[in-house]
Amino acid sequence: MSIIKAAAGPALKAASIMKAVAFATYKEWAAYRSHAMVSLFVGPVYFLVQIFIWKAVFSSRGSINGLSLDQMINYFGVAVLINYLIMDFADWNLQMLISTGKFLSYMLRPMSHIYFALSQKVGHRVLGFTIEFIPVYLILFFVFGVRIVPARPVFAVISIMLGFIMMFLVDYCVGITAFWLTRTSGVRRMFLLLRDICSGMFLPLTFFPDVLQKILFYLPFQFIAYVPVRVCVGSYELGGISLDIPRIVGIQAVAVLAMSVFTVVFFKLGTKRFTGVGA
Amino acid sequence: MIRALDIYITSMKNSFAARMAYRADFFFCCIMIFISELLFPLLTMLIYSTGGTFPGWNLAEVMVLQGVFMLSKGAANLLFFGVVYNTLSRVREGTYDLLMIKPVSTLYISVASGFEPDSIGTVLGGLLVIAYSLGKLSQPNAMQWLRFALIFFLSVLVMFAFAVLMAATVFKWVGNSRIYEIFDNITAFGNYPRSIFSKSFQNIISFIIPVGIIAFYPASALLGKDISGILPSICICVIFLLGSLALWKFMLSRYTSAGG
Repeated sequence: MSIIKAAAGPALKAASIMKAVAFATYKEWAAYRSHAMVSLFVGPVYFLVQIFIWKAVFSSRGSINGLSLDQMINYFGVAVLINYLIMDFADWNLQMLISTGKFLSYMLRPMSHIYFALSQKVGHRVLGFTIEFIPVYLILFFVFGVRIVPARPVFAVISIMLGFIMMFLVDYCVGITAFWLTRTSGVRRMFLLLRDICSGMFLPLTFFPDVLQKILFYLPFQFIAYVPVRVCVGSYELGGISLDIPRIVGIQAVAVLAMSVFTVVFFKLGTKRFTGVGA
Repeated sequence: MIRALDIYITSMKNSFAARMAYRADFFFCCIMIFISELLFPLLTMLIYSTGGTFPGWNLAEVMVLQGVFMLSKGAANLLFFGVVYNTLSRVREGTYDLLMIKPVSTLYISVASGFEPDSIGTVLGGLLVIAYSLGKLSQPNAMQWLRFALIFFLSVLVMFAFAVLMAATVFKWVGNSRIYEIFDNITAFGNYPRSIFSKSFQNIISFIIPVGIIAFYPASALLGKDISGILPSICICVIFLLGSLALWKFMLSRYTSAGG
């Protein structure tokens, strides 16, 4: 019993810290809610463009890469919505703190900046859920008639949560490069583009050449959006590999764990390079 | 005129000098912008490689259209789109007054000091895509090139109107950097042949928000395709530009220097 109490103590403390940071971030960003509400325009317009594109493309064919027009529209609908749940800018934030020297104050705090930034993301996305995700979901549902209901709701929720963490870890690693480069706009641009292409945000990954699909299967990017979208849609396939939903979510969890370890090690290497320049 | 040019060249030199402080990042940025701008043509190639097509347009023609879009966007980013960030950041900090007290038009100095050297990558990307795609098509004659040049000038003018419109908006909508997303979304319609949109949408992007003039009309002129409807579109472009300048003047008069 005492062992459980001893283990529960730090976990409760961590949860309490996350709650406090997330709440503060929520309040901070709620002041700029009109900025977030731009999503009410941007998301549906992006979706509308996709509808026009794919209707034109499918006008001469019944299916492309095994996907029908309805499935394709559903894919993009889910991708738009999931983006509101997982998006972040940990990379920009971290590189800004490093290049201005403000990161110094975080090194003196009794908690890891990785955990602090993750907690900030939680607060930011809770706000996003209420003022971006729900309204856009309703717009897609009532205006475009897209009925998005996950085939396996529990696995869909787990997969989106893992996608949320994976997105954070990938972005955070991009931010860590600022310990070496100071100015990282070029690197950030490259990685974010690579991330968005390779995570299936722009196009289902099954549209890529077979060799590339096989490579993408072993990279972390597909676990950000492609896997959560396919889990919501109810089937998974990449590079000729078809997996059932529980199995791909399990693989996603392992990938997130591996990426977490990599991030911590990379962060520790980076902090050794930090000189406080700009402070 | 010479003085105005002198101011612009000085601002350009300053922007280059500032970027050269981080040379590696600048060159990396240019290369990355160049690669990232190839995204739309890449996606189009993937769509066509799976057998999908945009009715009435082959792959090379769509790529010319997207190359023209990149070129117009690149020219705009390089020459004057910095006015948006310039206004956005200065209004947020409450330091826009520093531009207002200068003995030159506030809009002009905002545009000139917003020169963005990184966008050379977009211009190069656009030129490369156009050259590569035209190589796969029958070569345009002199008249087609002339038509293209004239309509492309209007395309850049529309981009300028968008930039002024966005910059004017941030006087009231302080610090909203997501204004770029709104712009990207609206102009995304210009990245594809007009024929893929419904009739009502074709009218909207031709006669209400002249997005069609950014790439569809110039590319059609270059490819010798039908450009009927261009004359009313030109009138709309001029109205759009005048409207954006009027809005700028109105919003500037409401600037309070309070920051945000």
